[in-house]
Amino acid sequence: MHPSQLELLFWWAGLVGHCLLFFVLWVRKRASSFPFFTALITANIVRTVTLFTVHGRASRDTYFVTYFAFAILDLALQLCVVYELASKIFRSTGKWAPDVRRGTQVLVFGSVIVALALAAMPTPPERTQLKVLLDRGNLFSSALLCELFVGMIAFSVTARLPWNTHVSRLAQGLGFYSLVGLLTEAGHNITGMVRSLALSHQLTILRECTYLFCLGYWIVTLWCNAPAPKELPEEMRRQLFTLEKRLAYDLRRLRGLKR
Amino acid sequence: MITIRILYFLIALAVFVAALLTAGTYYYLRSLRRKKYPYGKWEDILKRLTIVDRDSIEMIARDFVDETGQQRTEERDTDLDPAEIWDLIGGMKGLRELERNCAVLVDLVFYVQQWYPEALLITDRMRQEAREVEWHISRLRAAEKNGKLDDWFTDYAQRAVAKYYLMTRQVLALYKQGNFPGVMELQKAL
Repeated sequence: MHPSQLELLFWWAGLVGHCLLFFVLWVRKRASSFPFFTALITANIVRTVTLFTVHGRASRDTYFVTYFAFAILDLALQLCVVYELASKIFRSTGKWAPDVRRGTQVLVFGSVIVALALAAMPTPPERTQLKVLLDRGNLFSSALLCELFVGMIAFSVTARLPWNTHVSRLAQGLGFYSLVGLLTEAGHNITGMVRSLALSHQLTILRECTYLFCLGYWIVTLWCNAPAPKELPEEMRRQLFTLEKRLAYDLRRLRGLKR
Repeated sequence: MITIRILYFLIALAVFVAALLTAGTYYYLRSLRRKKYPYGKWEDILKRLTIVDRDSIEMIARDFVDETGQQRTEERDTDLDPAEIWDLIGGMKGLRELERNCAVLVDLVFYVQQWYPEALLITDRMRQEAREVEWHISRLRAAEKNGKLDDWFTDYAQRAVAKYYLMTRQVLALYKQGNFPGVMELQKAL
């Protein structure tokens, strides 16, 4: 099993892209703000190197088992990144926004059900069960991430919660990649992941190109500083100060009434 | 070859992607609209106002308060009886509409406050008055549950209507005083 020139190019491009992003995350001190995202990028570097090594030295089956193991790790880390981004938006004050807590639980539960149903529908024409599981797993993860990102957008708009620039850039990249991934994985579930089949190969190239594009987008946006948040106008600050005093006064009166 | 199972999958996928894109686009456009109009569009606020019979409102209110807004103390021959008040306001349904309109009235004044900070006092007062209307109507809801609506309707309903009427006059006076755009539309709506 020898990789083609194009596959080698994607491998190298992916490795260089991930290393650059890893560099940006540490040099620009974004790693402490996004530990799960940093872990995802680190895992991707390890995965690229490991799979390249296994590809050249081990059997086909060993390669697929390794690929499958990394795919599970990738899905787990991507879900952790979704949690990380959600907590930055909905728990910016250290406490989950109460008006989205129940909605988030419903969203997660509903999204898992819908993604499972969608992934169970096609029967990928693969020779081994592992490959069938891999195709369905990829479709499931793409569908789930798409749903979660759209749900996050909906909740943040409804609850009027702001998106920090870096958070929104990460979410945009992952959301876009998941949407393209949903379409390419749907294709793979119909055609199977066969290198010799032109459509299947083109779908893989499309997904790889999208991921490289997202990597470039993250490198640029994470290198740049987020715009400074707007300052509270002096008049509003005074109003809040007065309101706080008034509340404290009313609270004392209420406590007095209780006794 | 496309089997029936693949066809179902493709249909489900198309519905799924369409739903995701529709929801994503809808909320994205909503956030853009929020950025452009952080306090909502004036026309949209006005649209939320339910049209009520202003003559009936005025008749009920004037039966309870005088021209200056003070509660009448003297008995008059023209005093409305409970059945008349119920018919004029449209029962509990009509009162619920007034309750919703009160929130819109507060929003209309708050909208003006964005570039006319002097309206702050009126906004605060309107909020308190809206709470007062809500309180009167909540009393009536409780009375309705206990089967004592007839005993309490006239008292609480008339107070709520009178307060609502005075609120509408205040909003109109503010818009006229500041010569804000939309006075004509507001007069028609109120």
